[in-house]
Amino acid sequence: MSTVLQARDLTRYYDVAQGFLKPPAQVKALNGVSFELQAGKTLAVVGESGCGKSTLARQLTLIEAPTSGSLLLEGQDAATAGKAELKAMRTKVQMVFQNPYASLNPRQKIGTQLGEPLDINTSLSASEREERVRAMMARVGLRPEHYYRYPHMFSGGQRQRIAIARAMMLNPKIVVADEPTSALDVSIQAQVLNLFMDLQEEFNTAYVFISHNLAVVEHVADELMVMYLGRAVEVGAKGKIYARPLHPYTQALLSATPSIHPEDRRIKIKIQGELPSPLNPPSGCAFHKRCPFADARCQQEVPQLRALDERMIACHHAENINS
Amino acid sequence: MSLLEIKNLSVEFGSEKNPFRAVEGLDLTVNQGEIVGIVGESGSGKSVTMMAMMGLLEGQGRIVADTLQFDGKNLLTISARERRKIVGKDIAMIFQDPMTSLNPSYTVGYQIMEVLKIHQGLRGAALKQRALELMEMVEIPAAASRLAAYPHQLSGGMSQRVVIAMAIACNPKLLIADEPTTALDVTIQAQIMELLVSLQKSQNMALIMITHDLAVVAEVAHKVAVMYAGQVAEMAKVPGIFRTPAHPYTEALLKSIPEHSKGAHRLSTLPGIVPGQYDRPSGCLLSPRCPYVQDKCKAQRPGLTAIDGGVVRCHYPITAKEA
Repeated sequence: MSTVLQARDLTRYYDVAQGFLKPPAQVKALNGVSFELQAGKTLAVVGESGCGKSTLARQLTLIEAPTSGSLLLEGQDAATAGKAELKAMRTKVQMVFQNPYASLNPRQKIGTQLGEPLDINTSLSASEREERVRAMMARVGLRPEHYYRYPHMFSGGQRQRIAIARAMMLNPKIVVADEPTSALDVSIQAQVLNLFMDLQEEFNTAYVFISHNLAVVEHVADELMVMYLGRAVEVGAKGKIYARPLHPYTQALLSATPSIHPEDRRIKIKIQGELPSPLNPPSGCAFHKRCPFADARCQQEVPQLRALDERMIACHHAENINS
Repeated sequence: MSLLEIKNLSVEFGSEKNPFRAVEGLDLTVNQGEIVGIVGESGSGKSVTMMAMMGLLEGQGRIVADTLQFDGKNLLTISARERRKIVGKDIAMIFQDPMTSLNPSYTVGYQIMEVLKIHQGLRGAALKQRALELMEMVEIPAAASRLAAYPHQLSGGMSQRVVIAMAIACNPKLLIADEPTTALDVTIQAQIMELLVSLQKSQNMALIMITHDLAVVAEVAHKVAVMYAGQVAEMAKVPGIFRTPAHPYTEALLKSIPEHSKGAHRLSTLPGIVPGQYDRPSGCLLSPRCPYVQDKCKAQRPGLTAIDGGVVRCHYPITAKEA
């Protein structure tokens, strides 16, 4: 088992203009997130909109540099890497986006789009590239005649297959998938999830799977990271967290997920209100305004991640509320 | 007598010569105080059915039906003026995306009051009082100060609450919710669903829930219609339909949700996609994808047959024993 990705205390702040005379405000979109990812495993990142999931994806794919903290790709630090090294590193992390209607170039043929990563990053000849593209197309379930077609000629599910094929072209170590099935119908979602699982088995790729759908996450994940307002609140093995969520936010998320069979339904925990604005986060524990167990300490002191019951959790009262 | 009765409804688009049937031979009855779920994949005709009933397709679609009756009135023959008295008052609709269904140039207070002015003739202090009451009914915090807010100042969940307040302003007999929670986060989704169901109970409204999320329907609905390519594939009571689905499509939909195959590596899928405009098969519409297909299915379109607690459109429905 080899570690392909290590994030240590990743932090990303954005400046937001407040107007002509006011100083810019700072949004702490990502506030000290650490994790490790093993080859061939899947880390699922779960949280509501605004919790920093997509910011995390931008750091991991080296699109943006973090404000502080470090990111190690197969042991190599992204912060100290030179331009040429960074280019090589970027080929190891690829991304699949949420909306396949927006992530493919409408004016390029599928064959061209799939061949582009090879054209830029390898010295293969045109015929070798075409051979590789066709092999990958067959692998993800596209027919040979699709090579010369344009994106508008495909359905949503097929487009997502194309997007996945494009991400796999360079045989990356890590694929970051940002809500890859939320734009798809249920029966198509199942097909795409199966494709993800098959490719992982075949190429031993590690996935960072970002989603808000806990039913999907339960299916794909090995490790789970629940985020709230830029911080991880509970991190651990999927089985452990689903069997016994300890953080009140994780409990609320799981109980809010509807299920078909009454026996699978959890006791509904009502949480009040909405995610606070990241521009003006509450003091202390970011969740305290919505948490049914919050007390004075939660309002003042930010809880740090600590080990408890074979996972990491950021809650002052985890023992008391779960005993 | 039932509140809403639709018999043999068809909706066609395009030219007379080469029409596209979005909805074909749809039957639906809704009783007072009943929650009916309509589920299906995109393009199955869920929304078009409701829009046809509301008279929102004028000039685009051709609507043919044996019966289209709401609360004793024939919706096929009434004038536009009469229809306007019903729509928005006795039948109200909530759309998927609250950000686009509110007018960005008017305050939310104005938009709620507009409904009350037109349908109930309220003016002055009484008007404002009722608007405030409605906003409190949908649990908007600090309602008085939110009356003057513009839609962009509210979060998605709050905007959806405003839309619901507008919809229930005239105590409708029937509320149609078209994917009311798809655009929202899980915890907010749970809040909105709870609100809708509690309003439905307190006002004794009928509620039609259009959604692709089977789990949401399973938790709240009394009866579910599963649509496929413009037809009702199966309509039956909850939870029966989820325990022993009679139509192969219902069964396949249920199996393709990750919740169904807990612990399995692969999800069970229905191969292929929903047939499009010009490639609808001559026999049963599901025949190219159905795992139980027989010769008769390819040759002849099945009609609706009665089964225990509902109807199913299949030559060879799955009986409880086989499943």
